Amino acid sequence: MAKTILAVDDSSSLRQMVAFSLKAAGYLVIEAVDGQDGLEKAKLHNVDLVLTDQNMPRMDGLALIQLLRALPAYQKVPILMLTTESSDEMKSKGRAAGANGWLVKPFDPQRLIEVVKKVIG
Amino acid sequence: MTRKKILGSHVKRLLSGVSEHGRKHLNEVEADLRQTGMLLEEAVDKLTCSFMAIHDAVGARQAGINLLLAGGTPGDDEIARMQAMSGEIGVHVNCAITSMQFQDMTSQLIDRTLKRVTGLRVFLGTIGTHSEGVNAETGSEEIVELLGKVSMALAIQSLELRSVLRKAVNQQHLESGDIELF
Repeated sequence: MAKTILAVDDSSSLRQMVAFSLKAAGYLVIEAVDGQDGLEKAKLHNVDLVLTDQNMPRMDGLALIQLLRALPAYQKVPILMLTTESSDEMKSKGRAAGANGWLVKPFDPQRLIEVVKKVIG
Repeated sequence: MTRKKILGSHVKRLLSGVSEHGRKHLNEVEADLRQTGMLLEEAVDKLTCSFMAIHDAVGARQAGINLLLAGGTPGDDEIARMQAMSGEIGVHVNCAITSMQFQDMTSQLIDRTLKRVTGLRVFLGTIGTHSEGVNAETGSEEIVELLGKVSMALAIQSLELRSVLRKAVNQQHLESGDIELF
């Protein structure tokens, strides 16, 4: 059965690119427009991986990760940040919040798929 | 210090404050706009290349495609090239997808610029608001006090504006970013 990825980003074009790339590799993709929407959709669906942006309205990526990690169902689910942020300080915050990896935008579809396969198969 | 000197000193402080804060913010506006321009230019260049490459890849196989449509059978070489076409186009599509992400980055830069410009408008409006209390009869001590308040208010506003406008987009090019698994 295809693995499901929750893609969280306030940029609709970015979500389109992520969904296009991951669907082409055989994954199911659920899109969310910001952290709040991501949290709600994570509670509604069984997700194998969360891929989230950092800077979003209503709820940012770090807040989303912290809230997901507080949910029993999401304590072990891999969460990757996909963001324009590249500072060591932000990466440390992401790691401390519970992220399993940090991808700096722009992403290359082939590399994205390789990382996702490495993380969830 | 004489009243005149105190007043002069406050006027100087206010004017240099407005100039300095304004200059710093406008430097950031300029930097963000230049970065936006660079990313847009690179995106258009790369998307044009991807589009042309995909067009060429398909065009190179057009004779074989036409033969198939006419019910013919292309030679082994042509079949191998047609089978490879999917992978070839895939490479160009991936390049285009990376380039398309210019929209996300430039959108953030433009948003940051707009917020800064709005903040600067408020900043300059503060001067106008405070000046409403000044008229021909206003004493120099009141003016000195007012100038002090305005300088302080402007400094605080400028700092607050800078603090909410963290630079989240430092990309100067559209090369794919680093990946780190913890």
